[in-house]
Amino acid sequence: MRHTKLALAVLTAAVLTACGGGGTSPNGGDQTNKLTFSNQVSFGDSLSDVGTYRVGAVAAAGGGKFTINGDSTARNEDLNGKIWLDFMAAQLKLAAPCAAQTGLQGNAALGFSVPITNHPNCFNYAQGGSRVTNPIGPGNAATGSPIGEMTVPMATQIANHLAKVNGKFTGTELVTVLSGGNDVLMQLAAVTQAGTTAGAQAFAQLLATRLAAGATNPQAAAQAIGIAIATENARPGKTDQSVVTAAVTAAAQQPGNQAVAQQSVWGPIVAGAQTEGTAAGNAAAVTYASTNATRMVTELGTAGAQMAALVKNQLIANGAKYVIVANLPDVASTPAAKNRPAAIQTLVAAMVNAFNTQLKNNLDVNDARILYTDLYSVSNDQVKNPGPYGLSNTSAAACAPNALGTTSLICTANNTVAGDVSRYMFADEIHPTPFENDLIARYVLKDMAVKGWL
Amino acid sequence: MKVRFNSMIKMLGVAAALAFAQGAAAQSAGQLTAKFGVNQITPKVESGDISAPALPGTKADVGRDMQPVLIFAYGLTDNISVEAALGTPYKHKLYGAGAIEGTGLLGTAEALPAIAFLQYRFFQPTATFRPFVGIGATYAYFMKERGSARMTAITNPGSGVPTTFSIDSKFTYTAQVGVAMNLSEKWFADVTVNKTRLRTDVNFSTGQTQAMKLDPVSVVLAVGYKF
Repeated sequence: MRHTKLALAVLTAAVLTACGGGGTSPNGGDQTNKLTFSNQVSFGDSLSDVGTYRVGAVAAAGGGKFTINGDSTARNEDLNGKIWLDFMAAQLKLAAPCAAQTGLQGNAALGFSVPITNHPNCFNYAQGGSRVTNPIGPGNAATGSPIGEMTVPMATQIANHLAKVNGKFTGTELVTVLSGGNDVLMQLAAVTQAGTTAGAQAFAQLLATRLAAGATNPQAAAQAIGIAIATENARPGKTDQSVVTAAVTAAAQQPGNQAVAQQSVWGPIVAGAQTEGTAAGNAAAVTYASTNATRMVTELGTAGAQMAALVKNQLIANGAKYVIVANLPDVASTPAAKNRPAAIQTLVAAMVNAFNTQLKNNLDVNDARILYTDLYSVSNDQVKNPGPYGLSNTSAAACAPNALGTTSLICTANNTVAGDVSRYMFADEIHPTPFENDLIARYVLKDMAVKGWL
Repeated sequence: MKVRFNSMIKMLGVAAALAFAQGAAAQSAGQLTAKFGVNQITPKVESGDISAPALPGTKADVGRDMQPVLIFAYGLTDNISVEAALGTPYKHKLYGAGAIEGTGLLGTAEALPAIAFLQYRFFQPTATFRPFVGIGATYAYFMKERGSARMTAITNPGSGVPTTFSIDSKFTYTAQVGVAMNLSEKWFADVTVNKTRLRTDVNFSTGQTQAMKLDPVSVVLAVGYKF
């Protein structure tokens, strides 16, 4: 019977092991990160901006980041108002990132003029609208924007940080750089401007000619209507409707042309001129884009090379040991590009490719101090293949139009489009939602783990 | 958990019943043998993709483990026997694979596979070499699943809530081949290869799931004594 006792003893031991110390139920295990960073230092644009413009009327509207702003997790856990750098800092057990500079240089009457303040203990220098080296980006007062974003370029952001830390990194910072999007958008703005100008001209011409057709002297009538349109166009506060009204009023005053005052007559004329004017504008935009394509693509390539030079000569050379270089996401897949003609989308794709190619080619991506993370590929795949990422919509903006137009800068969970937008990819036509930012953070953290930094 | 533990206790009960049986002659009808050895379990992993939201093609790999094992067998006839094992849990390491290849160790889990075999042993009980085959009812019990900072980072970063996971325990079956060598009248050594069909699901605290085909192969080297 001795063996019986032995077996019982072993059985008892096994059962005790199964029930005993440490617990058998799952738990998170050791949550200690492999490396401990001192802080997170970020340079870039709206994709990395944690609240540069959260002042004045922007703050009052509950905005400040280029996403769906504010903590609305009570409504939906994905509506947390965070961007990728918020998720990263929290995961790395670092202080929440804060804007190194705040302020606005826009229209004071609208609440967009707030003195610029530098915050010495904040290390996120990224600003919405900023470019790699050019100081004028989208939203800057110099573009005519009433918001008046500072758009301090990445080159200056880095110089400002170096000035703050006596020219040297300690080597324990996690540095992130992401830029180039606004260099693309400024080129697109020029394309848009060319199209808008040509479209307005064509519309005015078509409208004047057709409204004058019934007059005794059509040529003289067209001239008079043209002057009325130009006069109204020059008046501050004019609208498309007021221009049309001015044109129709002038047309009806022309000898023999009273019939045009009836809506059944001028209505179809206006609609036709609008359709053809828009088509002419689109055609002009495409012509501008193709005429200037080589120059625009080359300029983006230059910007990419300049960003690589900043990484090497200003970050690495000054002692940074952990630099995450994110390439430019696929701007051509954003609603900002997809709402435009195919030829423009192709141009955007070529610009993004030129930027990323020059960025990568001018960096040693195998340098132990550089983590080159391919946001282009993942964003491109997300739009084509949203299911596995958990994205519910990759083509429409989650934010409804607001007081500033369509920018997500003042978008909150209270002014999104109808329905559940928590897992949309885009907050506005170019910026990611908090959920998409979460996916970006996971992707970058995955790359950090592969690099041995996590 | 209650169901799992009840099942465990039943399995252990089978082993206990075997242990109480009285032995007779050499590895033959009515005889109890006990052997002690080592068992290396190597999962042959075919990982499914972790469900949304995730990078497409996010897979996992599972490492092998070796543990000591105590195995009892009882001869129903000279050729037919039943067998059950006692052992310590197998600790397996889980690694990122597929789209997250290179992320390294993401978690660990312990497995306690309980198997009751029905075996057929060739030749006479006195033969020097006795090959055998078996078929086993298996309960693969998983426990002590542990995540990591890395697992949290790629599933739910910055939330302050560590990601946990649990692996579904499964009833399944195991095929066995082996050969025993009689060293003396009482002592023998044997080598056994077991192949278990094991398809299970991993459930993450983030609501994600992942189907895993583990189909482990275990190799047991043991020395035994006939009571």
